[in-house]
Amino acid sequence: MSRWIALGIRTGVRSTRYPSRPDPEAEIAPSAVTVDIAALSATQALEAADMCPTTAITAAGDRDRGSIAFDAGQCVMCGRCVRAFPAAFSYGHGPEVAVHSREALRVAAHWADGSGPAVDETAATAELQRRSQALFRRSLHVRHVDAGSCNGCESELQLLGSPQYDLHRLGLFFTPTPRHADALLVTGVVTRQMEQPLKDTYEAMPNPKLVVAAGVCAVGGGAFEGGLMVRGPLDRILPVDVYVPGCPPTPLALLHGLLLAVGRAEERYRPDGGRHGA
Amino acid sequence: MTTLRELAQRFGLAIGGGARGELRTQCAPEEFLGAVTALAAEAVLADLFAVTGRGQPTLTVVFELAGDAEWLVLRTQLSGDSFPSLTPSTHVASWYEREIHEMHGLNPVGHPALARLRLHDWPVGQPPMRAALERRLDVGPGVSSPVPIVHGQGVFQLPLGPVRSGPQESGEFLFNSGGEDLVAVSQLLGFKLRVVERLAEGRTVDQGLILAERLAGVSAFSNALAFVQAVERAMAVDVGEQSRAARTLMNELERLHNHFGDISRLADATGLMVAGAQYASLKEEVLRHCAALTQHRYLRGILVVGGLQAPLPDAALRAMRRRLGDWLRRSERLERLLEDTAVFVDRVETTGVLTKEYAAPHNLVGPIGRSTGADRDCRRDHPYAGYDRVTFDVLVKSQGDALARLSVRLFEIRQSIRIIEQVLEAWPGSDVAASVSTPATGEALGWSEGAGGETLHWVALTADGRIARWRARPPAFVNWHPYAEACASGNNLTDYPVIEASFGLSHAEFDR
Repeated sequence: MSRWIALGIRTGVRSTRYPSRPDPEAEIAPSAVTVDIAALSATQALEAADMCPTTAITAAGDRDRGSIAFDAGQCVMCGRCVRAFPAAFSYGHGPEVAVHSREALRVAAHWADGSGPAVDETAATAELQRRSQALFRRSLHVRHVDAGSCNGCESELQLLGSPQYDLHRLGLFFTPTPRHADALLVTGVVTRQMEQPLKDTYEAMPNPKLVVAAGVCAVGGGAFEGGLMVRGPLDRILPVDVYVPGCPPTPLALLHGLLLAVGRAEERYRPDGGRHGA
Repeated sequence: MTTLRELAQRFGLAIGGGARGELRTQCAPEEFLGAVTALAAEAVLADLFAVTGRGQPTLTVVFELAGDAEWLVLRTQLSGDSFPSLTPSTHVASWYEREIHEMHGLNPVGHPALARLRLHDWPVGQPPMRAALERRLDVGPGVSSPVPIVHGQGVFQLPLGPVRSGPQESGEFLFNSGGEDLVAVSQLLGFKLRVVERLAEGRTVDQGLILAERLAGVSAFSNALAFVQAVERAMAVDVGEQSRAARTLMNELERLHNHFGDISRLADATGLMVAGAQYASLKEEVLRHCAALTQHRYLRGILVVGGLQAPLPDAALRAMRRRLGDWLRRSERLERLLEDTAVFVDRVETTGVLTKEYAAPHNLVGPIGRSTGADRDCRRDHPYAGYDRVTFDVLVKSQGDALARLSVRLFEIRQSIRIIEQVLEAWPGSDVAASVSTPATGEALGWSEGAGGETLHWVALTADGRIARWRARPPAFVNWHPYAEACASGNNLTDYPVIEASFGLSHAEFDR
């Protein structure tokens, strides 16, 4: 056993300094797509929607008159649009992609009379929200529920305990019992057969409580919306405080989501890259 | 040595059509039971599935045979919704038939235990693979099969799940115990059933690929690879040399991060936190290199029918190659330390035993199969991608305990690194674009050896290239079958976390 202890000490501290410092090594994997819709022509907008294998990019109309919408809450990060239209779609954003409202993940644009798409300012101007959850600022106990995920999100959540992330240094803990939990972190699209266990877990938690939807399946239904035994995204079942997009969200994105939930991090992501609005 | 072709001829089955490497044959429904029983006695039954929808339902059985690179695909068209159960004569058919019964509404007459396999909140008479999709919201209250319970003096039940203690997948287990010993374990799976295969029907191949990549997260690549190869074989698309090399490399990277992750959880389950952290650290490093290569930590979004979405960047390949030696050294040092740690070896040795005799009729795959004497590995038996150009060894053990499963995984880590080094050594320069060589067959098998084992997908395409039917048989479907038996092999309640971690079975793959 002493050899294990020696090995542990010899290895030293491997943990990221995030959130006090950015961590370029952990940020290799993109956390979300941003879009500059104005860089698309009407034809390209229609092509992009056609190419998108989920409902993240949707479009209607024709070259003369139409609309396009991008929903980061449905984007599975397959990269098809980023490779086809690099001027408009990009991976440029860092890991801080969690937001407080579902609407904040959407951006839409219209075009008419042969001009290019113009962003609907009303949808894009939602101000970056700051919510303080002073009750939980020091330490947070998280109850995780897999409501129907592919195990990608669980793999990333498990890695939050790895030396590289070590979520305990931030006072974050997974708790086995809902009675001790401050926050409910849900992964996966809610399946018919997990709906009741999920509701029971939520009911068993004391008030006040926070709910975090992690991964596009929980945020928007992802690739499984419309499935025969699928109830849909989490906010159809429970009130959601924080949405973390990604498929799966990277460990840093998950950390940001949890810190955002307790007011220890700020909202930074907008699907238009913050080009419009406030 | 007998071949599948000879076996088929011996039983009077005519072979015709089928994609390359696939022997396709059919028989009348009244001959089906006899033909499958005879074939299953000599060959390995690798999959059994139903197709329902337009026309009469069909049943398809896929066989493989040691030493034969081909597959035998036997199909029969039923005249009604019933067929004689294969289970009494071929044990491995049991779970396949239970799945066919609940998902397709076909009745295997004479099945000895036709309980529901994954459905527990769904009414009878609405088989999900046949029910109209719009029925999903108003099907009414569900019916579940009772979970078997052990009765006896002093025996009590201890439930675990479906919501687990840490960030884990959902599944329910019922321990029957007399105090400390695990008398029997009942499992209730299927909580995460999304009916993924049904969702793909009528969609484009590209949309189907997105679903195949999301069947299971940590085995995203091997499942997507089996799916893509099935489509490529159905469409008779030839894949370029560099894409094949890159696919081989990524298949092994996925095995590496899975094995590192599984061993990390096993070490944590035995209380060896330093080992757990060291292996988790290795897994994270592999995932970061996957991200540098493909922009995705779990290798999603890189595959496409005919090749790759984008070439693997040279700089990322060089950076990864520089790390291989370090991963190998660290893994081997940890392996020696684990072997020297008596409290660890005591926890895993003779824990969760699957005897060779019990395991054999289940046709197990992957490290779990190879730790119980099943000498199967798709990479060697049915070479795909670039596996015909690399050399590697396959370790087969017979103890069937947690230690044997660990030993197989540790051995495979070394082989994976060896394969990646060979692929990089012979890295082909420029890619040859995908080309269509022969007329399409419309349906085909695809396979890969994921970290969990043989991953078998079957895809049938419509005339306009959409998905008519998709069947996924991931390794976890096979390997969950004998799991409860291993849990009750003379172990204590406190051994359960060790047993579970040593199996490392995916719920998402099983539930689908």
